[in-house]
Amino acid sequence: MTQFHLLAISFALFASAAAGFLTCNSLVRMLMFLELMLNAANVAIVALGQGAVGHAYAVMLFAVAAAEAGVGLALILSLASVFRTLEPGNIKELKG
Amino acid sequence: MILNAAIYGFGGLAVLATLLMIFQRDSVKAALLMLLALLSTAALYLALSAQLVAILQVILYAGAIMTLFIVALTVTPAAWRDRQPAASVKGLLGLAAAAVLFAELLKAAAPLRAVAASREFAETGSLELARLLFGPYVFQFELLSLVILAAIVAAVALTSRRRTAV
Repeated sequence: MTQFHLLAISFALFASAAAGFLTCNSLVRMLMFLELMLNAANVAIVALGQGAVGHAYAVMLFAVAAAEAGVGLALILSLASVFRTLEPGNIKELKG
Repeated sequence: MILNAAIYGFGGLAVLATLLMIFQRDSVKAALLMLLALLSTAALYLALSAQLVAILQVILYAGAIMTLFIVALTVTPAAWRDRQPAASVKGLLGLAAAAVLFAELLKAAAPLRAVAASREFAETGSLELARLLFGPYVFQFELLSLVILAAIVAAVALTSRRRTAV
């Protein structure tokens, strides 16, 4: 097995999550696919990173993912309560 | 041999779960498929000799973040949760864009075909990881605590404003 094969697994994960992100119709689902894309990047870091250094970066990326999920869901919930929908196509104006 | 099979098997399972998520109409079932993808990624980490990362994946992603998503799905009324429409032009364009992205990424990584990955199972101790996090990477690691603090403040501010507005 070469590093290319490991990267191919990560790319397949990333591309399938990107496909979901581009095709789905709900804000919560979009955030889910975004998390999966970040997860795929994490797989690439662990697969190609040299031992503990790669793992250290992966641990840091976990914290970024947690922060992103928290803020993203708070934004989505406040948007949904204003517009009464979770469909991004229905949210056409972004006023303060 | 077994490690290679595990890497391909769990990687494939994660990709399959993500693909099934796209075509799943029910949001809660989609969240459960995401859980499957995250858990198989944790197993993939284990096969890549990243034991601590695998445990953190289960605790943080499959535990904390999935709980957040399930809560978000349950607190929003069902009427706001929109059903996935049947395949449309937009959906096909999205799938095509992702396929192009995948092909381009593979093309960019082609030089790595010659680089062999060391695939022997090894123990990566948490002590070694802690030495790195509190040694050379201490600045980045401490900076992350500020990121998390900012995220907490932002999340509380956003949701409390919503409560007073309603």
